[in-house]
Amino acid sequence: MQETRMITPPQDRRLNDSELALVEAYNKLVETLEESGDELEPFARHNALKAVAALWQVMNGLDLDPGQLYTLGV
Amino acid sequence: MPDSPFWNKRHETMPREQLDALQVRKLRSLVEWSAEQVPYHAARLGDAGVTSESIESLDDLRRIPFTTREEWMQSQIEHPPYGAILAAPEGAAIRYHMTSGTTGRAPIRVLDSMKDWEWIAEMWCYGFWGFGVRPADTVFFAFSYGTFVGFWGAHYACEKIGCLVLPGGNMTTEARVKQIVDMNATVVCSTPTYALRMAQEAHKLGIDLASSPVKRLILSGEPAGSIPATKKLIEDQWGASAGDTAGMTELGTIMVFECSDQPGGTHIIEPHYIEEVIDPASGEPVGYGEQGERVVTSFGRGFIPVLRYRTRDLVVKVPADRCTCGRTLDIYEGGIVGRVDDMKLVRGTNVYPRAVEAIVREFTEIDEFQIHLFTAEGIRDEIEVLVEIPEADADRDTILKKLAVELSGAHEGLRFGVRQVENDTLPRFELKAKRLNDEREVVGGAGERKRS
Repeated sequence: MQETRMITPPQDRRLNDSELALVEAYNKLVETLEESGDELEPFARHNALKAVAALWQVMNGLDLDPGQLYTLGV
Repeated sequence: MPDSPFWNKRHETMPREQLDALQVRKLRSLVEWSAEQVPYHAARLGDAGVTSESIESLDDLRRIPFTTREEWMQSQIEHPPYGAILAAPEGAAIRYHMTSGTTGRAPIRVLDSMKDWEWIAEMWCYGFWGFGVRPADTVFFAFSYGTFVGFWGAHYACEKIGCLVLPGGNMTTEARVKQIVDMNATVVCSTPTYALRMAQEAHKLGIDLASSPVKRLILSGEPAGSIPATKKLIEDQWGASAGDTAGMTELGTIMVFECSDQPGGTHIIEPHYIEEVIDPASGEPVGYGEQGERVVTSFGRGFIPVLRYRTRDLVVKVPADRCTCGRTLDIYEGGIVGRVDDMKLVRGTNVYPRAVEAIVREFTEIDEFQIHLFTAEGIRDEIEVLVEIPEADADRDTILKKLAVELSGAHEGLRFGVRQVENDTLPRFELKAKRLNDEREVVGGAGERKRS
């Protein structure tokens, strides 16, 4: 099972525009941390990780199967 | 958006067939994650022939072997300090907690990551929001903030909601009561026992809690939060509504909460858990309305997957429509009604501490009590209830006689001694109360005696 995964909005259920914006923000944050997290200063990287943890729970609450994020540090 | 009675409306009002489908989907992911990351689970699932692909309905859950506390403890002994149950490296954790140790057994030790803690707090959010707590509230926690997980998740939930949080750790009961009043707390979180303890202290200090701004109490840690007589006593003394919740260290958080409609039980947070109720002897499922043992499967904590964990909690599940709140989440009528191992056999009669408390709390003159089991004349089981009655003008003789009659009547005529003891001599508790003192040299009915 791949640990970190990007969220794809579900086909069988409509998300509203605000929810879609949060999905986009989550994906962008995860992508940034995966690809270039090491380049960020500690304050930026660790605050971003906290933001991902909070948004992970939004994805989880929307039942979008966000999986696990342990390798990312979340 | 107008104020909603629900924290997550879609989850809390989901039609049953959608909820079943969601649980099946999450169960597949949990089995896949557990089998890939935890050799302990991989072996057990493999032996049972369970793969994520083979799970088609909730009926397939029953193919997964139970997990017991004893197995968890054995794993901790063989692979200290956590056991071979972690699905992520220890370095990914941000917090360590352990069970309260009130039973005297070795504690279960757990780890969680950053996102696990978001989920832990989220479960409490369902409960706090569902009982009417809102951002404008000021919430006092009568909690010691140690390695016992207790109200840690509740604290974060209130911060998440946007409440003003008053962390009441490392304080005397007097200081806590004064701070609740001085800071105009509107919500207080504690165990049921400690809610009564604070009310006693307020009485001594001449503080009328019923006229304070406290409007809600969130209770956890003991079954008493759903014992009607205890709950009524707490609500009367505080002049506030009391909502029950229940959780466990093995899950890191709560799995049930009472909503503001107070249906006489607690809703199960089913989008995040599968809660089965089984006959503790046979392991077979029991139906709605029948008492059995809770078995929990949790979808939330990835660090320590929990699959069909036998909790030893006794519950009675009833359908969601027993409540008027609109939630489709089933209910544990009367909350956690006891523990499988709480039951004591006294001269052939089953005695549950919760049942005794339910009767004792009807007598509002009784401040504190203890159930005392002992062996008389070297052979005979005896049970007595020790009580404190602080009010000088109380009719003590009548109270003691009436209590003995009611306890006996509720226990197949079993003779109960009831004895008054000096005030402030029985133990008081902040965490889980332990009001049963079993000093028997031998236990069990005639013909089944064994050394304790």
